[in-house]
Amino acid sequence: MKYFWLILTIAAVVWYTLVTTYVAYKGVDDIRGMLRRLAG
Amino acid sequence: MTNFNWLLDGSIVGLYLLVTMAAGLYVRKYVGKVDDFLVAGREMNVYLGIASLAATEFGIVTCMYTAEAGYKYGFAGATPGIAMALSMLVIGYTGFCIKPLRDSGVITIPQLIESRFGPRIRWAAGVVIVLGGLLNMGVFLRIGGQFLVQVIGLKVTSFDLWGFQIGYLEAMMTVLLLAVAAYTILGGMLSVLITDFLQFVVMSVGLIAVTVLILVYVGWDKIVATVDANYGAGGFNPFVHPDLGWQYVLFQVLLNFAAVLTWQTTIARVLAAKDSMTGQRIYVRTSFFFVCRFLIPGIWGMAALATLGQVTNTLDAMPAFLSSFVPAGLMGLCIAAMLAADMSTDSSYMLTWGSVIYNDIMAPFRKTAWSEKKGILINRMIVGLIGVFLLFYGLWYPLEGDVWTYLGITGTIYLASISVLLISACYWKRANSWGAAGSIILAAAIPVMFLILEKTPGTRDLAKAIGPYYSGIAAYAASGLAMVVFSLLKPRNGGNV
Repeated sequence: MKYFWLILTIAAVVWYTLVTTYVAYKGVDDIRGMLRRLAG
Repeated sequence: MTNFNWLLDGSIVGLYLLVTMAAGLYVRKYVGKVDDFLVAGREMNVYLGIASLAATEFGIVTCMYTAEAGYKYGFAGATPGIAMALSMLVIGYTGFCIKPLRDSGVITIPQLIESRFGPRIRWAAGVVIVLGGLLNMGVFLRIGGQFLVQVIGLKVTSFDLWGFQIGYLEAMMTVLLLAVAAYTILGGMLSVLITDFLQFVVMSVGLIAVTVLILVYVGWDKIVATVDANYGAGGFNPFVHPDLGWQYVLFQVLLNFAAVLTWQTTIARVLAAKDSMTGQRIYVRTSFFFVCRFLIPGIWGMAALATLGQVTNTLDAMPAFLSSFVPAGLMGLCIAAMLAADMSTDSSYMLTWGSVIYNDIMAPFRKTAWSEKKGILINRMIVGLIGVFLLFYGLWYPLEGDVWTYLGITGTIYLASISVLLISACYWKRANSWGAAGSIILAAAIPVMFLILEKTPGTRDLAKAIGPYYSGIAAYAASGLAMVVFSLLKPRNGGNV
């Protein structure tokens, strides 16, 4: 079980870092699009 | 002794608050209709949805109870995160319930329930959702204030203001609430989404930075050895932990599956999505976040155990550890991250429970349709009143037992029945208003009875003997059974509730 939690912890830190970076980059486009459509 | 530096860390926190408030208030001008206020005009796309869902479902209270679970149960305390991630992955991938829900174009779940079970059941569903939701959220402000007071290291408990003694905890709670209420009342879901995005980024950077610091300076081996020494095999496997066991795991599976399906703040992201496919993608791609949500603060709690040893108040262990472990500079980022986490959660929760009050509880009392302007004004007043309730409930309610269990029991008041109602409405043709009424009454009665038993001195031991997990499982079982039995008892023609 200790190795299960080790793998899960590494996966959590790596996945969270990658997703945060990608969402921060792509989310700005989503916000612009949403505000443009709402103001349309 | 805290490492918090008022000049350096205070500036970082101040800058974060300034940017968030400005962004939240800026978008209020886009709110022209009730739909804009409650579901952002249903214009939310995938990545904004991921940021918003993650930020909403991670507050200071989340960090506190997941760290407490890590401190008290070791790695086994992260089991609910795995249950929630798997539930979200399965539901997002298959579209179970959430596809018909989003396709129906409703704003809240009770609105869909009305189409199958009638207006009275919709009203009753709205009442239990708001009851469970507000009782659940009632402890958020106090715990958020408690964390900040502890991490900043305020030794004195109160200060003098114009002759009045004001407690720092109460002052923290009030300032937190006013900041969140300001942009939520003015901009509704639009402000919530924009600030959620900023808060997701700040929160995530802070969480990752502190976790890496812990893994480097406390060390994985020391954390594992501490859990092993304190809890043995039970610290890694919930089935063999003396305080957890199969009933804990089963309760977590039921609770988290129901929460992913019907927790209104979570499902609001599906309902605000552009279409059902976007909603499903948001669920699938956010699912693993819920492992991180339990495991990362859980490691903070285990690091507190490794560093501080056993302490009396397990809820305070993690903030006490952080206050002396995180260096100045990073402390400002850590507090900004926690403030971000808390503000995004509080704003979404206030708006969501407000939307159910407006849409489902007040609906039957409307003689004529309200104008968009009047609808927005009433929604703003409801959000403001919820804020006042939170402040007083948080000050008054004495929290006993661990926080996650309290949240699980109060959440079950509505999750047990509304999940059964939603599944039945979508997939069981024989389900009817008798079954729905029986399900709502039984599912709410069991957790409320348990809370009363727990709070009454004469029956406290009985509540302890039953335990929250058996009580929770009973609520889900009774709810499902009531739906089947009472639906079959109702004559096929007639027999109105």
